[in-house]
Amino acid sequence: MDHFEKHIRDNKALFDEHKADKSKMWANIEMELSTTGPKVVPLWKSPIFRVAASLILVFLLSTLIGITVYGEYRSAGQNSVVSQELQDIDMHYSSLVQHQVLMVKNHPDLSQEDKDEFLSFMDELDEEYGVLKLEMEKNLNNERVLEAIIGNYKKRIELIENLLRQINDSKMINDDYGYTL
Amino acid sequence: METNIRFTHQELVEKSKLGDRNSQFQLYEQYVDAMYNVSMRMLGSKEDAEDTVQDSFVEAFKSLGNFRYESTFGSWLKRIVINKSINHLKLKRIPLVPIIDHEYHLSEEPIEIAEALDIERVKIGIKKLPPGYRQIIQLYLIEGYDHEEIGEVLEISKSTSKSQYHRAKKKLLEIIKEI
Repeated sequence: MDHFEKHIRDNKALFDEHKADKSKMWANIEMELSTTGPKVVPLWKSPIFRVAASLILVFLLSTLIGITVYGEYRSAGQNSVVSQELQDIDMHYSSLVQHQVLMVKNHPDLSQEDKDEFLSFMDELDEEYGVLKLEMEKNLNNERVLEAIIGNYKKRIELIENLLRQINDSKMINDDYGYTL
Repeated sequence: METNIRFTHQELVEKSKLGDRNSQFQLYEQYVDAMYNVSMRMLGSKEDAEDTVQDSFVEAFKSLGNFRYESTFGSWLKRIVINKSINHLKLKRIPLVPIIDHEYHLSEEPIEIAEALDIERVKIGIKKLPPGYRQIIQLYLIEGYDHEEIGEVLEISKSTSKSQYHRAKKKLLEIIKEI
């Protein structure tokens, strides 16, 4: 670069001798931009948005799966507690009823006819118990069904106890009578 | 340091990319006079320069998403203005380089003309240059483009740009001497 070239380049600002009609030109530029619409970068095209959206999606999915799994776990836990409670009640009363039915069956002072009549009545209560148990399986949280099952057992036990008491009472009367005689 | 210069007006540029009209206007205000002068030097006509600069700003704002700070915003915008000005000259069929033997070798001659250092004379001399000489002188001397960049803009080889520039400079000095 010679002296002349360097001199021109050093003073190039002096060649800017024109002034633009800014307002008029901007009006035209703005009109042109408005007709085509502003250049808008769609949000979903932004890499930051994509990463953020992915993270939010992963978080939401994780939360949803977590809630579902935890809910099922809790529900299963609760159900298992109720189910265990029911099983314990069932076993208690079932063994009690079986024991007393066996006593009735083996009782020497009862006729076969009385035994059959009593056992058929017990069978009816058994059927009622079967229906209640099915209802209970559908909804373990149904307290009314649970109360009905316990009521069913209590009724059977009560009936057996009454029967046995009646047998014993009549035996005592007979014994007393014999003794008096 | 160079990196910082390239990111001049970064905030305005980024907002303009999102279509913020106020930021676009601020950029326009910063550069409109410089761009208008570039175009006026190339075209020599107020109306043509206004149209060209307007089109350049519209194109710049529309394609701002492609601007990646590989140069300053000003350099990027100036390239658009120069390209549009050159296209305008092509449409008018004005020769961009002298219609003579491009490969003729010119030896370097020392400049000893005192008048050549008078900027006002130089301005007049450039205006009196024949078609084809003016653009290459302006691109090299005033816009500061090197011969590779001039080659890209005028679609000529680097060596052609060099030879044509030397020819144009010799002509300019002759004119200045005669003023």
